[in-house]
Amino acid sequence: MKTNSVERKYVMPGDVVIEGDHNPLANVIKSGNKIISTKIGMAEISYNGVRVIPLNGTYIPRIDDVVIGKVADMNGFAWEIDINSWFFGILTGSAVFGRQFSSSRDSMKSQFNKGECLIAKILSFDRTRDPLISVSGPGLGKINEGEITYITSSKIPRVIGKKGAMIKLIEENTGCRMTIGQNGAILLKGTDEARTKARNAVKLIGNQAHISDLNDKVISLISK
Amino acid sequence: MPAVKKHRIVDSITRESIISNLANSTRLDERGLLDYRNLEIETNILKDKTNGSAKVRLGESEVWAGIKVETATPFPDTPAEGVMTCNAEMLPISSQYIEPGPPNEDTIELSRVSDRGIRESGMIDVKELCIKEGKQVYSVYIDVAIINEDGNLFDAVSYAATTALLMADMNKFTIEDDEVKMLDEKQPLPIKSVPVSTTFAKIGDKIIIDPNADEQEIATARLTLVTDENGKYVSAQKGKPGGFTFDELKEISVISKEKGDEIRVKIREAVKNGS
Amino acid sequence: MSKNKIERISGRAPDELRNVSIKAGVIKNADGSALIEFGKNKIMAAVFGPKEVHPKHMMVSDRAIIKCRYHMMPFSTDTRKRPNISRREIEISKVIREAVQPAIIMEDYPRTAIEIYIEILQSDGGSRCAAINAASTALADAGINMRDLVTACAAGKVDGQVVLDVDDTEDKTGEADMPIALLPNTGLITLFQLDGNLSKEEFDKALELAKIGCDKLYKLQRDALSEKYFDGKNGNKEE
Repeated sequence: MKTNSVERKYVMPGDVVIEGDHNPLANVIKSGNKIISTKIGMAEISYNGVRVIPLNGTYIPRIDDVVIGKVADMNGFAWEIDINSWFFGILTGSAVFGRQFSSSRDSMKSQFNKGECLIAKILSFDRTRDPLISVSGPGLGKINEGEITYITSSKIPRVIGKKGAMIKLIEENTGCRMTIGQNGAILLKGTDEARTKARNAVKLIGNQAHISDLNDKVISLISK
Repeated sequence: MPAVKKHRIVDSITRESIISNLANSTRLDERGLLDYRNLEIETNILKDKTNGSAKVRLGESEVWAGIKVETATPFPDTPAEGVMTCNAEMLPISSQYIEPGPPNEDTIELSRVSDRGIRESGMIDVKELCIKEGKQVYSVYIDVAIINEDGNLFDAVSYAATTALLMADMNKFTIEDDEVKMLDEKQPLPIKSVPVSTTFAKIGDKIIIDPNADEQEIATARLTLVTDENGKYVSAQKGKPGGFTFDELKEISVISKEKGDEIRVKIREAVKNGS
Repeated sequence: MSKNKIERISGRAPDELRNVSIKAGVIKNADGSALIEFGKNKIMAAVFGPKEVHPKHMMVSDRAIIKCRYHMMPFSTDTRKRPNISRREIEISKVIREAVQPAIIMEDYPRTAIEIYIEILQSDGGSRCAAINAASTALADAGINMRDLVTACAAGKVDGQVVLDVDDTEDKTGEADMPIALLPNTGLITLFQLDGNLSKEEFDKALELAKIGCDKLYKLQRDALSEKYFDGKNGNKEE
């Protein structure tokens, strides 16, 4: 058996992906001798194990993910950021103002206001608390211009492509600059025309069930 | 969508895009300031259990209206008049911002404004809903389910209710030996007029028609104005904590009649195709 | 399949389901949704979540809480129903929640709520089963981790004959109604109710018929999801 062969098939919740002694990796459960899918998606069976790449589902934060969100609310100590996930991302006052942060002295509103958008990074997330985010770092911070378009977060890898091939294809052919949020939000910068072309390309990717001919389809769309 | 607060927040980028587009007299979905979104009307969507029904899609807003005609004893002060009620239900399926439970003030406003739009126009002649004076009258129930919310439910509900009423029929009754008897034969409802609602929103100093959810959220004021086919103004409601100038109101009233007439044509067409 | 001596009021064979169609992804604002037309029933289900729990004190630290609401529109029944939620709707909300909950892997979503809303737009007997079929399709459409889908169907007794899928007219003169829901791949029965009068033989026969109905409905649920996600291709697909 070739160690790098991968078997793929469409699955739905409850479908037996494979029987036997295989390693359950993601979006599957092991029940007796069977590996069962818990999601709708593409199952991949390889030497490493069995996983299902979902075609839907809400974004689950992972440490170091870059995400794009908007300020939903704030209290005296932190901003609550809508990152299109189960919970709001928490941006603490001290993360922005530093350890000397004092809510009486430092104005939260002077930094981020309700409705403002930002590019952030996930600092931590575990089952016991809401995700903590940070806006310190290159490329992070408030978004002042551009347009944000959305796609199911599980399809973000397709927008990026193998080693960035797809995003490069779109940027070069449309003239639009793109910043990808792992949470399914994509920032588009450029002329109206550039952004429209890029937005349509993203939408096309989002509507495709499978990735065969995706490159050709995208090129054909944005060359019009 | 996940973690949610009580009401929609339009992000600053979208807000600025909407405003800068308006300065060029365009909107994010490429409509003109006075263009309606795509309007689809489907009749008889609930034909098995209702006397009349219609489904309306206005952009992404979707509503289903169902008419039930029953009989009741008349109110003591109007013994020869039938009864009509209109009720719009904001359902939790339609939006992450709607919680199940007793209606809030927005839901109640939607329901009451829809009701007045039909009642004040005299669309249904309640005097012709009398079966036996003092004893039995027709009771017309208009219920509208909100299936997906994307702004301007006022108009979507109005079009669905109006279409459903135009499609509706009710059993005839006869009086024999002082006894009321229901016949199998049916007749249309006593429709005297076809009111059409138009809704405007004010963003900055620009007036737009048929706001979608984001536009409605950032608007400072909203105006729903209902006209009938004779060019009469029959119902109005200003909403949101902002205001309109006298000139704006006058301008809106002219556009309301024009647009109302266009939409009335579509409603009549849908009714004609459905019958 | 076999023509029986007794003709059903509905004209169907004893093991014949009404016409059913299911469509996934019909409500744009919902995380997952489905519309089911089951005979004359027209039912929409929408799923929101996983999301924060309100009020916060209801949050459970190691799993999701499931909320379910079954509600009938006033125009959905023969006689107009008042808008306020009735005791019947509350009970049905509960049994539906308890029917679909076993399929949801709640431990994957600690401290969250998953909300299921079911709206009956037109009702004609067997609405709770139809609702469960729509709700589980909507859950899969929302990407909620599930052990299996949940499929539901009712059997009953009409004119002394055990039959599959009793509609409203048959129910009015019928002698028994037995709705069931199950996880199709494991066979676990998660909804089971009975109203009526059945001998042991009839009871077993009803269960058997209900299972046949569920098999057919499971296929329709798969078709609905396949239509939306796989462009209608339901089998294996090599890339």
